[in-house]
Amino acid sequence: MINEKINVHQFLVLVTLFTIGTTILVVPSGLAAAAKQDAWIVSIVGTGIGFIVIGIYHALVRSYPEMTIIQMNEKLFGKWIGKIVSLIFISLPFIYTSILMIYNGSFLTSHIMPDTPLPVLTMLMMVIVAMGVRLGIETIARSGEIFLVFFFILFAFLVIFVSPNIEFENIQPVFESKINTIFGASINLVVTSTINSVILLMIFPLVTRYKDAIKSFYIGNFIGGAVIIVITLLSILVLGADSTARQAYPSFILARRINVGNFVQRTEGVIAVMWFITIYFKMVLYFFASVLGVSQIFNLKHYRPLTLPMALIVGALSILMFEDVVKQQNFDVKASILYSITVGLFIPLLLLLVHAIRKRKNENKDDPQLIQKRE
Amino acid sequence: MKRIITILTVLTLLLSLTTGCWNRRELNELAITLAMGLDLTKDGKYLVTAQVVNPSEIAGDKGGGGGDSPVVIYQEKGETVFEAIRKMTKESPRKIYPSHLRMLIIGESLAKKGIGKPLDLLSRDWELRSDFYVAVSKGVRAEEVLKVPTSLEKTPANKMFDNLEVSAEAWSATSAVMLDELITDMVSPGKQPVLTGITADIKGDKRTTLSKQNVELIDTPAKIYFNQLAVFKKDKLIGWLNENQSKTYNIITNKEVSTVVNIPCPDGGKAVYQVTKSDSKVKGKIRNGRPEIDINIQVEGNVGEVECKVDLSKQETIDMLEKSYEKEKKEILVKSVKQIQEKYKVDIFGFGDAIHRTDPKAWSKLKKDWDKNFEDLKVNIQLNGEIRRVGTIGNSFLNDIK
Repeated sequence: MINEKINVHQFLVLVTLFTIGTTILVVPSGLAAAAKQDAWIVSIVGTGIGFIVIGIYHALVRSYPEMTIIQMNEKLFGKWIGKIVSLIFISLPFIYTSILMIYNGSFLTSHIMPDTPLPVLTMLMMVIVAMGVRLGIETIARSGEIFLVFFFILFAFLVIFVSPNIEFENIQPVFESKINTIFGASINLVVTSTINSVILLMIFPLVTRYKDAIKSFYIGNFIGGAVIIVITLLSILVLGADSTARQAYPSFILARRINVGNFVQRTEGVIAVMWFITIYFKMVLYFFASVLGVSQIFNLKHYRPLTLPMALIVGALSILMFEDVVKQQNFDVKASILYSITVGLFIPLLLLLVHAIRKRKNENKDDPQLIQKRE
Repeated sequence: MKRIITILTVLTLLLSLTTGCWNRRELNELAITLAMGLDLTKDGKYLVTAQVVNPSEIAGDKGGGGGDSPVVIYQEKGETVFEAIRKMTKESPRKIYPSHLRMLIIGESLAKKGIGKPLDLLSRDWELRSDFYVAVSKGVRAEEVLKVPTSLEKTPANKMFDNLEVSAEAWSATSAVMLDELITDMVSPGKQPVLTGITADIKGDKRTTLSKQNVELIDTPAKIYFNQLAVFKKDKLIGWLNENQSKTYNIITNKEVSTVVNIPCPDGGKAVYQVTKSDSKVKGKIRNGRPEIDINIQVEGNVGEVECKVDLSKQETIDMLEKSYEKEKKEILVKSVKQIQEKYKVDIFGFGDAIHRTDPKAWSKLKKDWDKNFEDLKVNIQLNGEIRRVGTIGNSFLNDIK
């Protein structure tokens, strides 16, 4: 269907960018609101739980390395049920592309360009997202390789220059929160950075060597997790748990604190650039997965003709979906977590279950001894 | 051919998107506000005073500027702060641009009523960075402070900003507090906020002293200076610390960078101990079911001035001076802490946070009634002062004046 291929290293880059994604700007605030100064522990726990989730995906791709999750659905559930499950699955990356568009718009309008009309910002972003998807996964992956370097240079810049402002008193007392709180709060992180990466199973068959690719899945999740842990830790250490929780975008405020000799200061643009890089790739991957998914559901020869029309829908949806920012926050906190768990955890588990049942059935059929016994 | 035309069309269309920021505002459209004052009017409204830079006066070329004042004041009343700021456009030809705000001055009467409400805007609005200092005007209204012309630093806001930084560093009786820290302290149950006081002293006729004539005189008749620290309970001003109490606050909260302390010599006269490094560690503990605070302060410094007859070449003298510094300082510390506990009954030192850090369980019980607990909190102070150097001369020549 598509004959593009990416190599293992490029897949690693994409997983890393996807895991960091939106979390870098938004997550420290939510974690600090739930677990106060222990937010950094939550981010460690969250990254740890992430590995278990990837373990589930691992089990799935071990059995069907050549298939996207859409094709697995059809194979395991049969044609019609499979297509219905696939539609449910594909709704996730599609809607989340819009949601990320909203994130991007609300960050830009509340911090950087308040008077620019939202449709203009959305349009600009949507044009480059659609362009990326049209050019194909190879182009996306290669540009990802370039931008990941940029990202880590800027990240190092942020960490080095903000570190003089660290006050260790801010994380004391350590482990004040109860275990329940820590695990409860970590779900949010697991959902945004790991469970949502279920959509990477759409591009998984495009990776050249799948055995190494699954390894990059784990490593990418680890690198992304490490970035999130560092950002959360820095936010808490520099701003304190209380301010971190109060700010909508704590890491942005973190960058404002940089002041080296009254010379290197007001560098919040750095974090904005980091955010643009990661949110762009996350958005492109979501969008690619949904476009490819739709084309596979309807057995189209190629996904390209779908790109522009779907991009228009995503753009319009992002403006129409929520009336105000509070509704969007409620969706983030309540609905989206359950939605992601249903699609990103429940469907793969169901697939595994059906796979196990079918396998046993087949074995039973083939095994002559068992046939004899039955007789 | 068709391809080239398509590409050209796309590129031309792209050009229209690359014209720069949508809502760009050039320097000549901005009223760059460096200082802002908040007062309470008699009818319960906010009076917002913005001190706006006049860029052509600040600009480098000497003697060029037509002799206008370097800053302009815009004032407006409003039921909310934001309303008042936007109303200023009735008077100001440019929109108030607060991104480069350096000082926020809060009037004493407003501070007594509570500063929480007006501060919300300042932390919510996207144009404000939180890297400005907050001070309370003592005895005068915030607007009066902002109306005083200053010399050395042409813009009064920069004068106040630098003044506060220098004095917090060299004298350590003022406290440079930024907005984030203030808000964190206001909401924290284990530490109450403290802000520096600022006062304007205006002699003579206001019309002339508050004009440029003020900076033409050597002894300027109108002055602004930082004075004392304001103690807050949550967001309400409840009192002022005197100089010793202010210094105590700075030492214990580890804000002291450098200061000088007079110490008595054994046979009369005084010597001066110049602090170069001060480090305090505050530990909270629960002893016999009651909270206690241990403060361990390590001070390093030099002999800065000797106005008595001592032999600085002897080790015993140095030891003796160290001892007498420790005794003198400890007395002040203990007394000041006691006074603050008894008079203001609010925990400005962050002792509650210290207990929270070491014993979160006990803190969850204590925190409900912390102000009461703070009042009879036992505070143990350990002070260790070291003298490292004695300056550029050895024994004072005073010894040889017979």
